[in-house]
Amino acid sequence: MITIENLTKYYGNNRAVNNISFTINDNEILGFLGPNGAGKSTTMNMIAGFLPMTAGKVTICGSDISKEPVKAKKNLGYLPEIPPVYPDMRVREYLSFCAGLKRIPVTKKSSEIKRVMELLKITDVKDKLIKNLSKGYKQRVGFAQALLGNPKFLILDEPTVGLDPKQVTEVRNIIKDLKKDHSVIFSSHILSEVSAVCDRVVIINKGDIKAIDTIENLEKQTGGSLILHIIIKGSRAVAADIIETADGVKEITKINVEGDDTYEFIAQLEGDGDAIKNDIMMKLLKNNIQISEIFTEKPDLEAVFVKLINSKPEKSGILELFDEYIKENPDAEGSADETDTAEKEDNE
Amino acid sequence: MFSIYKKDLQSFFFTPFAYIVTALFLFLFTFYFNGSIGDQSQATYFFSFANVFYNVIIMFIFLIPILTMRTFADERKFGTEVLLMTSPLNVVQIIIGKYLANITVFLFMLASSLFFPIFTAIKGEVVMSQLICAYLGFFLWGAMYIAIGQLISSFTESSILAAIIGEIVMFVFLFIDDFAMTKFIAQYPAIQSAVYAFAAQPRFAYFSQGFIRLSDIVFFISAIIVCLVWNYISIEKRRWNRG
Repeated sequence: MITIENLTKYYGNNRAVNNISFTINDNEILGFLGPNGAGKSTTMNMIAGFLPMTAGKVTICGSDISKEPVKAKKNLGYLPEIPPVYPDMRVREYLSFCAGLKRIPVTKKSSEIKRVMELLKITDVKDKLIKNLSKGYKQRVGFAQALLGNPKFLILDEPTVGLDPKQVTEVRNIIKDLKKDHSVIFSSHILSEVSAVCDRVVIINKGDIKAIDTIENLEKQTGGSLILHIIIKGSRAVAADIIETADGVKEITKINVEGDDTYEFIAQLEGDGDAIKNDIMMKLLKNNIQISEIFTEKPDLEAVFVKLINSKPEKSGILELFDEYIKENPDAEGSADETDTAEKEDNE
Repeated sequence: MFSIYKKDLQSFFFTPFAYIVTALFLFLFTFYFNGSIGDQSQATYFFSFANVFYNVIIMFIFLIPILTMRTFADERKFGTEVLLMTSPLNVVQIIIGKYLANITVFLFMLASSLFFPIFTAIKGEVVMSQLICAYLGFFLWGAMYIAIGQLISSFTESSILAAIIGEIVMFVFLFIDDFAMTKFIAQYPAIQSAVYAFAAQPRFAYFSQGFIRLSDIVFFISAIIVCLVWNYISIEKRRWNRG
């Protein structure tokens, strides 16, 4: 289990990550979702022990990454945003070097390298120089490196960027398979990818956590309501009246004019979608309005994402006051930060 | 640590890099060796390997930065620093592994130059004690310069810049004793002795005369340790300051 407690990172006066806490359970795929510049890579770099945190704590299998880095890092495989490959090495040579770095015993080395190469389908390029490989292959070589030694936790920073659609599906399937005996933290700014692969998602924007939940729960979060689409032919006013007054309809969100006397109504529902749908259908037919199409759909996850990202962070009054104080007195924050880093340097 | 050492050695020896640097070193060595051994213009014939070493050391300024420039600069440039830092190794092991790899290439250069004394010994006579001491001094001086070059390589992302800065710093260190001896500095004895303490050349002079003094060995080894510790600090500092 990885526990992240009150993790904070400042770059000078810029706050990249603000006091975030969450846990990664065993055998779980956790999606880390946020727009560009949200603090995803910074957080992952901190979890992997590459960047020191300004404040907070990361514990991997009971060992603190800043206090017992060697022990903690043994359980980690990390694929950074840019695959960390040496352009002048051959693929096999590179993986052999990484296996040495991860202290894989010599006897297991070649079988382990063979395993990851087969898993990521890079066996056919094993004797090529990495600089001659395409972006997708480089990405997979970097991924193979993270899998060496079968670490318990995998941190993958945008692993599918730069891959073609077929490779994206392959990599997603690999990640899903990894769930059997690994935990994966997996960052992306593409929502569909996260919803296809992950059990839980952490949504982050500008360093703040906006939500930590399962995909299903997030879908429910838009009010848990379905959206009804009806395309009718007939009187617009009558139809609008019927739909609006029907039980379970929250509101008509939109009316599109499709053609002569043809309109599309989009309405938000509350409660049992099928019953409402039947009820509305009956009433419309009684009033001689033709229905050419009627269906309900789940709210768009993209909408949830955008809504969460734009939402203001929930903060207590004191924290808000503190933030305002910092905005007004940027010096106060800066000097505090400097003494902080100075102290840490002294400690080393 | 061993895997980093091995990888760095591979990057020297599986590419023409180490061979070209060594060839250049041998070329310069031959240049001075021939000039010196064939010189009969003086009234008394005088040749010693220590003198050849003296001249060759100036070439260190060009050779050693080329050897060390990529050590950390390239790791940063290719983003592979992340790989090293997130693997179960501590920074000390990374630095020592890389230092030993650089030293090994340097030893390869030195070993190839043994060719000259061996031939001289076959055809003539070589003062062995002096030769061994000169080699020891030469090695220690080179080891110190490698530590300096490696430190400078950790300051920057560009290996060319690391080489140029390294050349400047090594140039200063090579001629610091001449600087300390200038009349201007001699006005202030305290400053003169302080500056002179950094000079490596007078210390090498003892080695080349066949003396092994503890204070000289301590000077070179402590300089190496200071540079490597500073190297560690510079890498850690960059992690803290990143952004």
